[in-house]
Amino acid sequence: MQRRDFFKKLGTVAVVTAVVPAMSFAGNAKPVGPNKMDFKTAVNAITGGKTPQKSNKVKLKTPEIAENGAVVPVTVSVDSPMTDTDYVKAIHILDGKNSNARCIDVFLTPANGKAMFSTRIKLGGTQDVTALVELSNGEFLIASQSVKVTIGGCG
Amino acid sequence: MSKARKSLIKIKPKRYKDGEIVKVSFMVMHPMATGMGRDKKTKKIIPAKYINSVKFVYNGKEITHMTVWESLSVNPVFTTYMKINGKGKLTVTYTDNTGEMNEKTKKIKPRG
Repeated sequence: MQRRDFFKKLGTVAVVTAVVPAMSFAGNAKPVGPNKMDFKTAVNAITGGKTPQKSNKVKLKTPEIAENGAVVPVTVSVDSPMTDTDYVKAIHILDGKNSNARCIDVFLTPANGKAMFSTRIKLGGTQDVTALVELSNGEFLIASQSVKVTIGGCG
Repeated sequence: MSKARKSLIKIKPKRYKDGEIVKVSFMVMHPMATGMGRDKKTKKIIPAKYINSVKFVYNGKEITHMTVWESLSVNPVFTTYMKINGKGKLTVTYTDNTGEMNEKTKKIKPRG
């Protein structure tokens, strides 16, 4: 064996020894959620490429500062007559930074009488909460608000 | 149909007339595990277990259905409005990502 070859092999061995423990660490690291989705891809998947418009009709009610990220109350109400021809088709609640940007999709019908939905969501950190509303005429409306989270609640 | 979980349907106000729009909330005791958290003692990943879909059916007619993802809180609450349209019953069905399926019914009795 030549001296040059010997150093090459030594190098590869050093790389392997460096990589193997890193890999075993990777098995122990933070796992990736089963449904990983970006905020932009989530919006595109819902709207199908259309750009949602900002509107005063959509009212998103969340606390500006949430002490506990595990329980953040969110209320979305839309100003709509909810008749057979003009009603809110769907309300989507999205977050900005969680591994899955989609929280819940609610599909309403005129039998609801009032376009409103409220629930409680988990937030991993300070981020924007967004309500994306689909009307029966195919329009998309959007409203968002930033929520400050002091203790993360994901996981 | 699997083992029943504690769940509740609340209607506000309690006394309602025919044709009135009332607030309906459905609560269920469910862990809503994201599949990313760890057990504090054993340090093992808690497998994902979250509600997939919820359906509100009133007298055989679907009012609202929802697609749910993991980022809802533990023991989730779903609140919407509903128009009362005669006597009958409201059924809420929910499904799990592990295939668990349950339902809860409440009688609707408009007065006056």
